[in-house]
Amino acid sequence: MKKQLGFLVDTEKCIGCFTCAMACKNVYHQQKGIVWRQVHPMGESIYPHRERAWLSLACNHCENPVCLEQCPVKAYTKREDGIVVHDQDACIGCGNCVRSCPYGAPRMNPVEKRAEKCSMCWQRIDAGLDPACVHSCPVGALSIADISTARLDGWVQYPAGYPESRRLNPSTRFKAPRQPREVRRNDA
Amino acid sequence: MNSMELPLVIFTVLSQGAVGLVALTAARQWASDGGSGMAQAPRTAWLTAVALLALGAFAAMFHLGHMGGAVRTLANLESAWLSREGLALGATGALLLAGYLSPGLRARGATTVAAVLGVTAVLVTSMTYAPAGFPALNNALPGVFFLLTAAVLGPALAAPFLPDAHQPAAMRALRAALLVSLVINLVVPCVWLSGGTVMRLTGEAFLTAPLYWLRLALLGASYALARGGRMPAWMLPLLAAQELLGRALFFMLPVHASVNIGNPF
Ligand code: SF4
Ligand code: SF4
Repeated sequence: MKKQLGFLVDTEKCIGCFTCAMACKNVYHQQKGIVWRQVHPMGESIYPHRERAWLSLACNHCENPVCLEQCPVKAYTKREDGIVVHDQDACIGCGNCVRSCPYGAPRMNPVEKRAEKCSMCWQRIDAGLDPACVHSCPVGALSIADISTARLDGWVQYPAGYPESRRLNPSTRFKAPRQPREVRRNDA
Repeated sequence: MNSMELPLVIFTVLSQGAVGLVALTAARQWASDGGSGMAQAPRTAWLTAVALLALGAFAAMFHLGHMGGAVRTLANLESAWLSREGLALGATGALLLAGYLSPGLRARGATTVAAVLGVTAVLVTSMTYAPAGFPALNNALPGVFFLLTAAVLGPALAAPFLPDAHQPAAMRALRAALLVSLVINLVVPCVWLSGGTVMRLTGEAFLTAPLYWLRLALLGASYALARGGRMPAWMLPLLAAQELLGRALFFMLPVHASVNIGNPF
């Protein structure tokens, strides 16, 4: 596998504070209702506890991006480091990428009438900085890594609540949330 | 619920109707004994098919955020089904226009080529609307639905151009297409109920939508009324109404995979 940057999402650490999503909004000022990073609560059927668990998701910068494959005007490119970049000036707003991506990453900007999505803050990465979401997370639940070389023991690609797509091979990796431990009065 | 995508509803139904008209006419030419006036397909039939395709393509423009970029949709023939769809429908339209202008291109060999190209274009179009984001549609079903639209509208659109001797055959073709469409449209949402979570949600969305049952009622009524040896004048509007409604539901009701993130798939 070639170099492939991907987000690492540690759902054990994530407290669902939405700071990552806010940081993205602060940098890119998306239109009302448009989000590039969304913090999804895990439903009770997969995390049935009083404590909540969350999946903080943005574009997965897939190895085989269906957005890039299905864009009729080639508005998407994949960089050497694996980041999938969308060129909004080239986009004609056909919505094909929005329908195609099973992760809902590209969104249609209702004012520009063109698609848009997470860029993994490639300009910040090129300047040696972390993406805004990673930089802002107060508990260090988000990071990025070259998943083609990083040691990712204990990380999974398809946690419960996340659509599986072997064809796209999404680059995000997850640590599963910790199961709460019942503490009894007579426990040591 | 997704948006109705009215421009795409009009575009897909009209273009599939055009292909159905051409395919039915070609089929009748092969069945012709030579004495029934079908040595060449009627010129007005070809003009109607070209007009339907052009009107559909015009409607599709309104789906784009930026119509001015429409010509660039052919830029990704390597991998984008939308680019291939533009090419396939454009080639079909060009061939039909040539047939309208030149009688030799309306002989049965040439009309068969046009029909095969048109059916191919319908299948290519169906791939555009079988995106990975919609598990219920990310399969052969859009192709089946789109071919059924061509099969239902084709006989009704072709009937005014067919000689009397071919009218009963057009009615038989319509009845067969309506029956298959009725069964498929009834069975498919039930099959979705047995799939993964998002597919099941799609099945439930269809089965609980009053408009879905209205569409089935219109299909059933069309089948019940499609009797006799000649296409009644009111049949085409009835068929068009139920096809347009069915296509609007095709865009509105399927559930996108991302809607269910955080829950079991
Ligand atoms: S998550 Fe969706 S938008 Fe992002 S690269 Fe993959 S297919 Fe494209
Ligand atoms: S909406 Fe824009 S980026 Fe998405 S597929 Fe269409 S042209 Fe390409």
